[in-house]
Amino acid sequence: MEILRFDNVCKRYPMGDGVVNALVDASFTINEGDFVAILGPSGSGKSTLMHLLGFLDSPTEGGVYFENRRLEDISGTQRARIRAEKIGFVFQAFNLLPRMSVFGNAKLPLAYHSNPPPDADERVRKALALVGMDHRANHKPGELSGGQRQRVAIARALVNEPRIILADEPTGNLDSKTAATILELFEELNRQGRTIVLVTHDPKVAERTKRQIHVLDGRIARET
Amino acid sequence: MNIFSGILNGLGEIWAHKLRSFLTMLCVMLGVVSMVVITGFVEGMFTSWSRNLSERGGLEKVSTGNTEPPARQEAIAKLSKGLTLGDALQLKRDLPPGFVVSPEYEVRTTLFRRGKRDWVRLQGVTSSILAINRYEVDRGRFFTDLELRDSANVVVLGTWVAERLFGRTENPVGQFIDINGQPFKVVGVLKHYELMFREWNTLRWKNDVAFIPITTGINKVGRNEKLAWINVQVDDVDRLNETVDTITNILATRHNGIFDFKVSTSEGELASFAESRKNSVFFAGIIGAVTLIVSAIGIANLMLASINERVREIGIRKAIGATGRNIFGQFVVEAVALSLCGGLLGMAVSIGAIEGLRAIVPAENAPVLSTSAFVVGFVFSVVAGVLAGIYPALQASKLDPITALRYE
Ligand SMILES: Nc1ncnc2c1ncn2[C@@H]1O[C@H](COP(=O)(O)OP(=O)(O)OP(=O)(O)O)[C@@H](O)[C@H]1O
Ligand SMILES: [Mg+2]
Repeated sequence: MEILRFDNVCKRYPMGDGVVNALVDASFTINEGDFVAILGPSGSGKSTLMHLLGFLDSPTEGGVYFENRRLEDISGTQRARIRAEKIGFVFQAFNLLPRMSVFGNAKLPLAYHSNPPPDADERVRKALALVGMDHRANHKPGELSGGQRQRVAIARALVNEPRIILADEPTGNLDSKTAATILELFEELNRQGRTIVLVTHDPKVAERTKRQIHVLDGRIARET
Repeated sequence: MNIFSGILNGLGEIWAHKLRSFLTMLCVMLGVVSMVVITGFVEGMFTSWSRNLSERGGLEKVSTGNTEPPARQEAIAKLSKGLTLGDALQLKRDLPPGFVVSPEYEVRTTLFRRGKRDWVRLQGVTSSILAINRYEVDRGRFFTDLELRDSANVVVLGTWVAERLFGRTENPVGQFIDINGQPFKVVGVLKHYELMFREWNTLRWKNDVAFIPITTGINKVGRNEKLAWINVQVDDVDRLNETVDTITNILATRHNGIFDFKVSTSEGELASFAESRKNSVFFAGIIGAVTLIVSAIGIANLMLASINERVREIGIRKAIGATGRNIFGQFVVEAVALSLCGGLLGMAVSIGAIEGLRAIVPAENAPVLSTSAFVVGFVFSVVAGVLAGIYPALQASKLDPITALRYE
């Protein structure tokens, strides 16, 4: 079943006199149960693609479809609800709230849930345990290493048990051993039926996924 | 996100930016303090004034006093002897039965008692003075009609006079004092009157009196028979004007047409006071409103600064699923929590400020702690907080998550 579809999506940024073509004519579909890697060098447009997938951004041209609905037909509030309830984000820059504890950060998506689960705290603890960060629940992000912050960001993406996880370089700051654990975690989540889109510049990481989309200078070079 | 966690979150934010929050609260606080203190002054003036008015006989009292006759009557002024006991008796006869007539005779003299002396305004009165000028006897009794008829040597003292002659402990009732070389028996002591304490007592004059029967005053103590006042109490305030006319007519006839008397009521005073009160409230309102606008601008400014600083946080929250409304609510709650704290602080400071001012400001104008001022100041500060919070909150809610996320 189709979750997300891109139909000739272009994203251009005005830049001085000219424009930056961050994404050109991207067309692909992400189905329920997919485990996709978006692979490409730095500056190729991966994060741009990711933001479009989570409709944090809207395309300059082309159509973005979520569950067969055109993005334009989904109101701002509905988009926010979908992000809170169906999408788990792991941002490239972690984007944790510095003044909130690890626990609070991981709990944040549940705060915006339309009907927050009664076992919210239990869920947060479980998500933190899954990434091995439960012992640091009361620390502030500033007191953590880069890799630890990344793991908290992953726990935050898992806590609302999303239908689709969008992860931008989730293993970029991790040593190979922790990275392997995280990838195993993603594989396990995928086996449980969750759809995962993983952005990376590392072919070794991409190998672990079922399907790869190669991006180069904003264009989809090939799909394997 | 529910309201409770929203408030907790807001308080956390406030705590995280102590200085900024403190400055914001200071704005609100000053707004509330100025509101409460200004209204306190206005209320204080009004309270002490209206209390004084009622202790002097209230609105129902019509006072008639002596005055210089107009210039054109100077030549024939001798045709009138001024206010006399006869005038009072005539008024009593001619005015409706429900009216009280109280003639007052005055002698400035010295009271002696065993080496102690007191210079007082000795008043010759009838028992009508109790009703009209609101006096009550505390110890002993007032003099009787028999004593009045017989020009008896009896006296009723105000508490201060009694204290000066007898000290705090001795009971004056039944003892004798000396007036103009004659022994007078103290038959009663009046109630003690107090509106606000010690030297601020605006009713002090009510304790500084000595009453003797008016007949005794005219026949044995004073040198003439000219009364100081004839006060009349009407039974209905609506008959005030009519009564003023009646009194004027009766007295004009008795005084052979010489206008050497003046009939007055408290109505003019009341009207001018109501007018000045209206003005004070109006100006107090303007000053208060200006302060509140200033504090609202302060809050808005600080909120905007806080939003600039938190662009990234707002972006993250939105990316994770916060709607524009969630963000709006968060910032409004923060603004309200801030102004609420400021409002409470302002109330505490106001109490201190008013207590402090009462110590320096003369009693007549001392401010009072009025509940209405508190309610108004508090509500206004919260409203200012909400209004000031709305614009910045709207700005925050419109922030584009991507710009916010890419913001370094
Ligand atoms: N707001 C913007 N204004 C102008 N250009 C932009 C903006 N955002 C992104 N770009 C450009 O779009 C291109 C793609 O950026 P993007 O962040 O998607 O790259 P990326 O593939 O994620 O790179 P990396 O692996 O380094 O994260 C870059 O050339 C970048 O400079
Ligand atoms: Mg990127």
